[in-house]
Amino acid sequence: MRERKSKVIEIVLLGVLGALALLCLAAPQLFRDRKQLQLLSISVLLRDTDTSGWTVARQGMEQAADELDAELRFLTLTTYSDGAEQEELLLRELDGGADGLVLVPADPIALPAALLQRTNTCPVVTLESAMDGSAGTVSPDNVQLGRQLAQALLEDWDGGTVLLVNSAPGCTGVTERIQAAQQTLEGENVPTKRVRDLPQSGPEERWVMTFDASSTQHTAERKVTEEFSFALYGVGSSTAITAQLEQGTISAVAAWSDYAAGYLAVRQTVEQVRGTGEELAPLPFSILRKEDIYAPENQKLLFPIMSSSGR
Amino acid sequence: MSFFRRIAAQWAERYRKMSIQMVLSLSFTAVAAVGILLMGISLIWRFSSASEQMVAENSQRVLAQANLNLDSYLRRMMRIADTVYYRVIKNTDLAEGSYTDALGLLYEENRDDLVSLAVFDGQGGLVSSVPLSFVKREADPSHSDWFQAASRNMENLHFSTPHVQNIFGDPDYPYRWVVSLSHYVQLTRDGVTEGGVLLVDMSFSGIEQVCRDVSLANGGYLYLIDKDGELIYHPRQQLIYAGLLEENNLTAAGYRDGSHLETFQGQSRQVTVKTVGYTGWKLVGVAPAASWLTSSPSLFLFGLALLLFAIFLMAFLNFLISARIADPIRRLEQSIKELESGRENVVIEEGGCYEVQHLSRSVRSMVSTMRHLMDDIIQQEGQKRRSELEVLQSQINPHFLYNTLDSVIWMVESGQQAEAIQMVTSLARLFRISLSKGKSIIPLSDELEHARHYMNIQQIRYQNKFTTQIEAQPETQGLYTLKLIVQPILENAIYHGMASAEDDGHIRVAAYLEGKDLVIDVEDNGLGMRPEVASSLLDPNRPQERGSGSGIGVRNVHQRIRLTFGQSYGLTILSEPDEGTLVRIRLPAFTREEALGRQQGEVL
Repeated sequence: MRERKSKVIEIVLLGVLGALALLCLAAPQLFRDRKQLQLLSISVLLRDTDTSGWTVARQGMEQAADELDAELRFLTLTTYSDGAEQEELLLRELDGGADGLVLVPADPIALPAALLQRTNTCPVVTLESAMDGSAGTVSPDNVQLGRQLAQALLEDWDGGTVLLVNSAPGCTGVTERIQAAQQTLEGENVPTKRVRDLPQSGPEERWVMTFDASSTQHTAERKVTEEFSFALYGVGSSTAITAQLEQGTISAVAAWSDYAAGYLAVRQTVEQVRGTGEELAPLPFSILRKEDIYAPENQKLLFPIMSSSGR
Repeated sequence: MSFFRRIAAQWAERYRKMSIQMVLSLSFTAVAAVGILLMGISLIWRFSSASEQMVAENSQRVLAQANLNLDSYLRRMMRIADTVYYRVIKNTDLAEGSYTDALGLLYEENRDDLVSLAVFDGQGGLVSSVPLSFVKREADPSHSDWFQAASRNMENLHFSTPHVQNIFGDPDYPYRWVVSLSHYVQLTRDGVTEGGVLLVDMSFSGIEQVCRDVSLANGGYLYLIDKDGELIYHPRQQLIYAGLLEENNLTAAGYRDGSHLETFQGQSRQVTVKTVGYTGWKLVGVAPAASWLTSSPSLFLFGLALLLFAIFLMAFLNFLISARIADPIRRLEQSIKELESGRENVVIEEGGCYEVQHLSRSVRSMVSTMRHLMDDIIQQEGQKRRSELEVLQSQINPHFLYNTLDSVIWMVESGQQAEAIQMVTSLARLFRISLSKGKSIIPLSDELEHARHYMNIQQIRYQNKFTTQIEAQPETQGLYTLKLIVQPILENAIYHGMASAEDDGHIRVAAYLEGKDLVIDVEDNGLGMRPEVASSLLDPNRPQERGSGSGIGVRNVHQRIRLTFGQSYGLTILSEPDEGTLVRIRLPAFTREEALGRQQGEVL
């Protein structure tokens, strides 16, 4: 009896040791396979018709994708800020097996309803506008941004109505900025007027505010080409907007790091897919005027180092 | 403390219950496992140290190469600056000519590395520049860091940190990141020298290319700082600029050249620093300190698998060796257990190592000695019993002899010659059979013959006051019996039953078989006795009464039979007063062969 018990103990001990040794030998292969399967497919859906205004953000996104083992697909619309088209694209990406979505929502009100009808959803992180059911929003504090941009205008204001251009009325983020700016201005008894776009013949008002990068660039370009004389206050930190700021076409911009925004959006998406995401803090932003452009900190914000590595 | 005592007591209890093989194998395996683990830890430690050293050496080697490349690049820029100064500026009088063509040639020759070449006068006014020929209206070069550094320290070349060059007007607003090399120069204008500043804007991508492709071991990276710790190049520079990442560059600025260990944001890492010759910039190589273990889990697991396999092999060998050592001991223990259970002819093997062999031999010798001692004891016991029997037998002979001789004397004295002769003849026959050549078991016929002669003697002595009938069933022919067992019964029957009888006394002896037993009945019609007296006659504790008819003879017979054949044999006495007495002798029915075997076995 005792001998049999001893034999059983010996065999069990040898079995355990042998199994552990085999497990350790096999583990690297198992880990490698698992790691290989972790490459995530993330689709980036913009509400613009091209990615030119997102060059810097894209750099940040690609940096995050490279670090976090993800691959990106950039998708633009054929019509600027077309909610229906974006919804169609979004659903197509979901059907295509996207692991996560980075979305600049054209219509943050309608899209959640479309998402709710789907069973094959995935984490969606939005840029610019918050959206119900999203896994996070990467944007500055829109209300603060609107207020501070209005404060910048108030510093220069010497009378007249301020034209508030809302080129993307469906975007809640942009709308929040406009509302905050309007409240601030009206709080100082500054008359305001909301429009979808500049009138074809040019605005009669001397003060114009835009609240998204595309609209700012577009308005500045029209101001130069059509030789309008209004003072423009906008949003964005692209090279074109910075150049307009330096040239005086734009009086002040609310700028933040697009690189950081792109990086954080992809990082948050990947972390949400892997179940490790945390609450996102609002992006810091600055109100810049022409004379602030070349301050060292603003150089780093406005002029991202374009790596020649192609990253 | 009591917990440890309890654990120790439990282990001690388990140890006591364990087999020697288990104790040996587990002890050897535990010691081997501890040894192998210690060896493994030692190897890992040495491997880690060696890896750390290798990483440090690798970082230093890589940094030295990067330093060479960067130094080469910067020296090329410095040569351009020297060329501009000594070949162009020194040889050109601004009143007579311009630097533009010569600067243009140099720019074209190095356009991959240069963003712009420019010469400013002492007040920051543009003297000449390529490829852009005008300065922005709002620009004030004299307030730029590079201009002031050159103006402050006229002897040296100065390298700025990366910045966006914003002096020159460019309709495309390309916003190029540059590193500015500035040098105080002396301009000649109309034969008069004046101070000025030469600006060589190196493309940041040139420095980036030098540093970018440098990779360190174990996922390490390299970055470049100026002497104040300001970042010049970092592979994740934009993340740092965006505030999403931090680098320990300001601390690294204080490090001397060589490898250092630091902990930054909770991560231990090895930092190798190499100062770039002229500029005072520092190349900093960073390798995570844990990288040589965590970055290669497969290597770690492979090492662990080897350790476990080594322990597995050691355990297997230990089990085999301990079994080989313990098996002879176990077999010896088994043999001793069999001996303990009383089994005879147990073979005690001699196997295993010397000590176990010696022990086996000792046990075998001990068992052999013990058996001999036991045989001796048995033999001695037999001899003792024989002596006792001989004593018992010797108690018969003098008693009877005395009575018979007394009768012969009486008959001779009374002139009964014939009866005396018959009595002496019977006595002679009686003694011959008594002797029986020393045998204790004799044929039944001899025993009955012996009884017959005895009765002849007694009949003469008692003047035929009783008759005797001795008979044996034919089946009893050839059977054997213990010697001299009938005569004492007859003697008792005569003394107790016939002594006071008239002439009608009768004694009957009958031998017959009852099952496997031989039964000899001695029956008389004498006075008889009470049954309790009859049963007390065989009691060994009954006090002995000397004299005829005391019953000693009967008890002696009873004891002899029981000593010889066991407790199930012996005498039974049945008697009633005035009815007579029956003494029944029960013996095993021995044939000749069994009797001979019994004699040779020398139980008697």
